[in-house]
Amino acid sequence: MHWYLLCQLIKRDVLLRYRGAMFGVLWVLLTPLIMLSIMAIVFGEVFQTRWTQQQDGVPFWLVLYSGLIAFNVFGDAVSRAPTAVRSYPNFVKKMIFPVAILPLVPLGSALIHAAFNLAILLLALAWTGHLHFQAALYPIMLIPLLLGTVGLSWFIAAWGVFIKDMTQIVPPFVQILMFVSPVLYPATAAPASLLPLYRYNPLGAVVEACRSAIFGQPIDWRAWIAALLCGVVTAALGWLFFRRSREEFADAL
Amino acid sequence: MRSDDAVISVHDLGKSYRLFKHPGDRVKEFLCLGLKQYHRESVALEGVSFEIKRGETVGIVGHNGAGKSTLLQLVCGVLKPTRGSVWVHGRISALLELGTGFNADFTGRENVFFQGAVIGFSQNEMQKRFDEIATFADIGDYIDQPVRTYSSGMFLRLAFAVAVHVDPEILVVDEALSTGDAAFQDKCFRRMEVIRNGGCTILFVSHAVGQIARFCKRALLLDHGRLVFDGPVSRTLSLYVNNAYGVKQNEPDSSNFSQSDSADGLVRRPYYNDAEIRLGDRAATIWDARLIQGGVENPSFFVPGKRTRLLLNVRFHVAVDRPVYEFSLKTARGAMLFGTNTSELGTSEKAQEKGSDVTVCFDFDPYLDAGEYAISVGISGLAPTGSVTHDRRYDSIHFHVAQPLASGGRLAINAEFHKVVDVAQLPTTELVKL
Repeated sequence: MHWYLLCQLIKRDVLLRYRGAMFGVLWVLLTPLIMLSIMAIVFGEVFQTRWTQQQDGVPFWLVLYSGLIAFNVFGDAVSRAPTAVRSYPNFVKKMIFPVAILPLVPLGSALIHAAFNLAILLLALAWTGHLHFQAALYPIMLIPLLLGTVGLSWFIAAWGVFIKDMTQIVPPFVQILMFVSPVLYPATAAPASLLPLYRYNPLGAVVEACRSAIFGQPIDWRAWIAALLCGVVTAALGWLFFRRSREEFADAL
Repeated sequence: MRSDDAVISVHDLGKSYRLFKHPGDRVKEFLCLGLKQYHRESVALEGVSFEIKRGETVGIVGHNGAGKSTLLQLVCGVLKPTRGSVWVHGRISALLELGTGFNADFTGRENVFFQGAVIGFSQNEMQKRFDEIATFADIGDYIDQPVRTYSSGMFLRLAFAVAVHVDPEILVVDEALSTGDAAFQDKCFRRMEVIRNGGCTILFVSHAVGQIARFCKRALLLDHGRLVFDGPVSRTLSLYVNNAYGVKQNEPDSSNFSQSDSADGLVRRPYYNDAEIRLGDRAATIWDARLIQGGVENPSFFVPGKRTRLLLNVRFHVAVDRPVYEFSLKTARGAMLFGTNTSELGTSEKAQEKGSDVTVCFDFDPYLDAGEYAISVGISGLAPTGSVTHDRRYDSIHFHVAQPLASGGRLAINAEFHKVVDVAQLPTTELVKL
């Protein structure tokens, strides 16, 4: 495996986003800070929303943010996957390069941003006195999501090489997924008839598990393990598909 | 089938591209699992087989679109063959195109380390090589500037420096050197010689016939995706050059060749360089050449600046209307010092009939530093369509120049030193008059 090269690529990706900006890499911290502050003001003061099942008096915006972090790892990585290989024709055609690691770069950079987001969230939780030791499980809860994202990224990146439309198709789908998954609301808010669907939606299961971890509530391990299996299968299929289509990349680009 | 010391083995290699009229056709073809064809095939390479041994330096020539770059990409594993197989043993460092993989927004230094990571070197391993790379590239403080501020020459310098300093076992260079200036090209070739002597195999594509001739012992000629010739560089180049300039190919008739060889006096001269590159259609041939200085034929050392005569014997096998005699002088390393021909000298030579045999001479003063030099001679004909090379013998004569009075550099310009007390007393009055 090309771990060192992958790390370099991710580093470049993150640095490149902020290169030339006045605050530079500081934006990695500033953006979540601003986001969380806005949410605190809007949902805490202006638009006093309540989580349907109030989690021991935790403010709505903290509950929302803890789920959003997990979803955004998926959303950011997958939205950028269509161009992950496509935007590096030189790496594909003119260099001896392990192309398979390219789709992992958006995920890596999404994870780095998520780490800073999580740090800010934990600080906010500590500030408001809601920090629970079970929050340490958060990264582990993410594993099924990571596997699934890796698989989807491989798949979408390969298609993105052949079909330019993928850049247009994928982002709305990510939006739709956010609305149909229990990200902005708890799964229990769904009508009873749709509940199993919500419970075993791997994306939803992970988001729920992450939220439970943060607030020290019992984790639905059955749903989580189902999501893990789903992630493993997605990753394997994505890898197979990517490897098969890789031979055509140079011709298509 | 593969020999023991082969590092590259290519067998019946073919590459064709699937051309789709519309991007959607690719999806359609994928969805119907190959039951229906939506594409057209375009063949880039067909039935190519060869083997390259460890430490060999092989040139690849051919017209645009002959498949040279495709072949290199296949060898590098960037493209997958449609047919046949490529077997490569060893770490490849490739310069398929200039500075690919360099990110314009990052500095030269960052890009060097990144290139190292691509090849598989850790930060530490690259750190050890970095100074050497920076020295070789010789771009000064620009190494810490974003690459987008670089000139194309600086780009080449850095890219090449990285490629040759990562201990490649196989070096693949595609056209890259053509943008560098002469001094840098010279440096590149010296470096390539060093790594070749270290056992590195080099595959080299260039349109510059001179570069190939100078650097490779063997060359492959590709034409329309087929391997037309694989052999000694002189034969390959003469086939290529003759094709390239549209001269009808005199089929290499073996009896004809042996006959002309036996009549060739130059090959038996002690100063003859058997690594000469000989090009041309041989409608006229140079069958002997002699160097005379101070009445002595072929002295073991030449005196700098003393009148020297180059005698050429030329036989015309067909009538040539406007013959042009050529001669040029290079250092043994291959740096061009001087070249001229009778057309440039302003003399138009009289037409020669078929079967005529003439002796011509160039007189010159070799104001040269001590060292080894090579002379190239040639005969060509001016036709209404352009110049036709009949016989050009690159670097066919070697000679030595003895130590001059003052040395340093390649030219001896008879420099004298005077301590100036009074300008009026300087021995050369012309200076004062100026």
